[in-house]
Amino acid sequence: MKPHLILSLMAAVAAGTAAAAPQVTRLTPPSELFSSGRADPVIARFLPGQRFDLQATIKADAGQKITAARFLVDGKPVAATVALRDCAGGCVKGLGAETAIATVRAVSADAAGRHEFQVEAMQSDGQRVVARGNFDVVPFAAAMGPKVKNIIILLGDGMGASQRTAARLVQGYAQGKALQPLAMDSFSATALVKTASLNSIVTDSAPGMTAYVSGNKNNNNEEGVFPDDTVDAFDNPRIEYLSEYLHRTQGKQLGIVTTADVFDATPAGNAVHTSNRGAGTGIVDQFFDDRSRTGLAVLMGGGRKWFLPAGTPGSARADSTDYAFSATDAHTAEIVKRWGAAPGAMDKGRDLIAAFQSAGFTYAATKTDLDRADTAKPLLGLFAFSNMNVALDKINGRRGTDRNGLGGASVVEDFGLPDQPMLDEMTTQALAVLKRAPKGFVLMVEGASIDKQAHAMDTERWMLDTLEFDRAVRVAQDFAAEQGDTLVIVTADHECSGAALIGGATVTDKALAELAGKKGVANLRNSVVGVYEKAGFPRYRLAADGYPETTDIDYRLLVGYGANADRYEDWRTKKTPQRDGQQPFATQPPLKWYPANAQERDDALGEFLVTGQVPGEQAVHTATDVPLSAYGPGALAFTGVIDNTDVFFKLAQAAVKGVVAPADTSGSRKPPKPRR
Amino acid sequence: MCGGQHPAMFSQPTFPGLTGPALLSLALSLAAPASHAQQAPASLAFSDFFVQPIGPRGLQPTARLLAAQGREVQLVGFMVQREHAQPGHFLLTPRPVSMAEHADGEADDLPASTVTVVLPAAQRSAVVAHTAGPLQLQGRLEFGPVEVEPGRVSWLRLHLAPGALANPSSAP
Repeated sequence: MKPHLILSLMAAVAAGTAAAAPQVTRLTPPSELFSSGRADPVIARFLPGQRFDLQATIKADAGQKITAARFLVDGKPVAATVALRDCAGGCVKGLGAETAIATVRAVSADAAGRHEFQVEAMQSDGQRVVARGNFDVVPFAAAMGPKVKNIIILLGDGMGASQRTAARLVQGYAQGKALQPLAMDSFSATALVKTASLNSIVTDSAPGMTAYVSGNKNNNNEEGVFPDDTVDAFDNPRIEYLSEYLHRTQGKQLGIVTTADVFDATPAGNAVHTSNRGAGTGIVDQFFDDRSRTGLAVLMGGGRKWFLPAGTPGSARADSTDYAFSATDAHTAEIVKRWGAAPGAMDKGRDLIAAFQSAGFTYAATKTDLDRADTAKPLLGLFAFSNMNVALDKINGRRGTDRNGLGGASVVEDFGLPDQPMLDEMTTQALAVLKRAPKGFVLMVEGASIDKQAHAMDTERWMLDTLEFDRAVRVAQDFAAEQGDTLVIVTADHECSGAALIGGATVTDKALAELAGKKGVANLRNSVVGVYEKAGFPRYRLAADGYPETTDIDYRLLVGYGANADRYEDWRTKKTPQRDGQQPFATQPPLKWYPANAQERDDALGEFLVTGQVPGEQAVHTATDVPLSAYGPGALAFTGVIDNTDVFFKLAQAAVKGVVAPADTSGSRKPPKPRR
Repeated sequence: MCGGQHPAMFSQPTFPGLTGPALLSLALSLAAPASHAQQAPASLAFSDFFVQPIGPRGLQPTARLLAAQGREVQLVGFMVQREHAQPGHFLLTPRPVSMAEHADGEADDLPASTVTVVLPAAQRSAVVAHTAGPLQLQGRLEFGPVEVEPGRVSWLRLHLAPGALANPSSAP
């Protein structure tokens, strides 16, 4: 044969054999063993018996199919149906139609320690591929004290050390000593928590919540699931939540209380499994339809728009945010079969409030309803159409101040919702219901708008939301002190905005307003910002309701933002709607096309532009560690620099086996009664 | 009871590039739509749309809203400040509200009476920059559910008249 022909033939053979092997491109649960070949660090960890799904994405060679797949754990084949599907439709872009996804639902392991698992897949031409991963089962330790009956997780969304400190400063200092510590300041132990998600140093509220209640890292925007390669948001590999595990093994109930829309990531990340935190219709349906899995007995917050049938004005229910599992395709049918989950339905016309009521729940639409609720029954509260109004605006509504809307009404009146409860009031009623749970409960209480107002760099609104949150902390702490069998933790999913307590104003509020009129850096920064000893101790006067009489005090606290977007700063409380009595309405407003001149953005007077370090309009989350404080039996287990996923195992230990540390530094088993 | 189903879906939200016709800051005044309704437009406030305070379930349209359906109305409100401004429409509320769509999505601070202000058809691909302060707008009022963006259902729309806003200029 001629030399060039031999070379061509060899090249053809080489090219053919180099590509000819099926490939596993994803193996779930995620592991470094699969991703990089390193056995450590182990990524996925589970409790003995905690359920999770196994999954693999297997790429087939051109013209071939994956004909079979099986999973082995520690060398033993998993005895459960393997659902095998292709990617002719429904997979993420870039995957060939013959790519296969193999899934086994709801497996668990009991033996403590490291486990290796593998997928073995067969291609139609007889080729075989194997991929390996690992996970840990974290054993329960021998207890040194009692089991806790109830767990309360109070989560201040975006609440880092700065936000906690700012709220304490508002309560006043004298010669360096805090006059009145926050309730969370009096907790027995504090840890520093690492908050990274599965796919970033900077997390969001979805994995920020689920790490605490599933023991596992999730991707940003995903809750209670590992990532996969399908576009369906509800078919992802699941991880059993603390609520599900304790309901299944002990009969505990679940309560979820938030000031956000209840479909939002923090509340949903205690009970709902989805890779799309925005799939509102499906998320609220799953709260209800899977309540026999989670033990849901209390659900309160905003988000009424998701519960109204699509034809009712105000409803947001839509097919685009809903789901229904196929009963015939094993890929999803096995979720129903093995998890005992509801199949879902495309049912935007559903009246979900009526469904809850038919199931025996009391429905509360206002604080008045909430106060009257029969606490012998489970409770649904929907106090707003999306997020509830923030503390400052609710307080002004109750005081009858700041009636400066276009029609002379308050913010809550303009929203049509003048009777919204405070977070501590919601927590009190939630505990009144859950206290009756014979086997105890898990309760998550979220101060949601600390984060939302920090995004907006609205200092006063997140400060007051932190104060409102601390009052809910106080309610939980008093409950735990009285009951003696309740473990309470106060934590955050992440910090938001890089809030920095830079000092105090060196001028009165009146002078500050005048300086805003004079405009510019020299007037609004150099003449105002008091650093070091010039900061002194800002004095906020607290009204009888416990909140500041006003946030526009003389020599006020000043907050800067390290993760900020561009903003104009005049340091004063944003009085929505910034209607100045002297300024007439524009009758023929100039509307501008994008991009706007930056000078025209923002409502602060005085043109002191603080250039942002992040692009866009909103401050962002940061990667900084956050403090977590614990109170109750076993509280001293929550110290050190810990991972957010570690918290899950500590909570489970306390509830399932018993505490492994004292309640406080005196060595006592019982928590010290808080001094009020 | 309420307006019929409007299955219309607005164009997919895309953050507009700064290419194409240069989008300059232009002061554009709203021209009174002379060719439209003979009668003077009704002046409505947000509090006129639904029975206030809102009842335990959904919104109840008022007689004023139902009478104003399909008619020219004048409305004063605040443009919602969005992280990702959308082409062809913006949101109007009785109080200034900002949105952090990336962090919060549909868990937003919008009131139930939020109005979607729809630009004339010829300007559907243009994006209006955020303008602070109360705005008085005039347009045809439409009431009924429309999914204006995936996952976001609008119940009130104000359709600005053609020619209400000058075209974006392509001048350098």
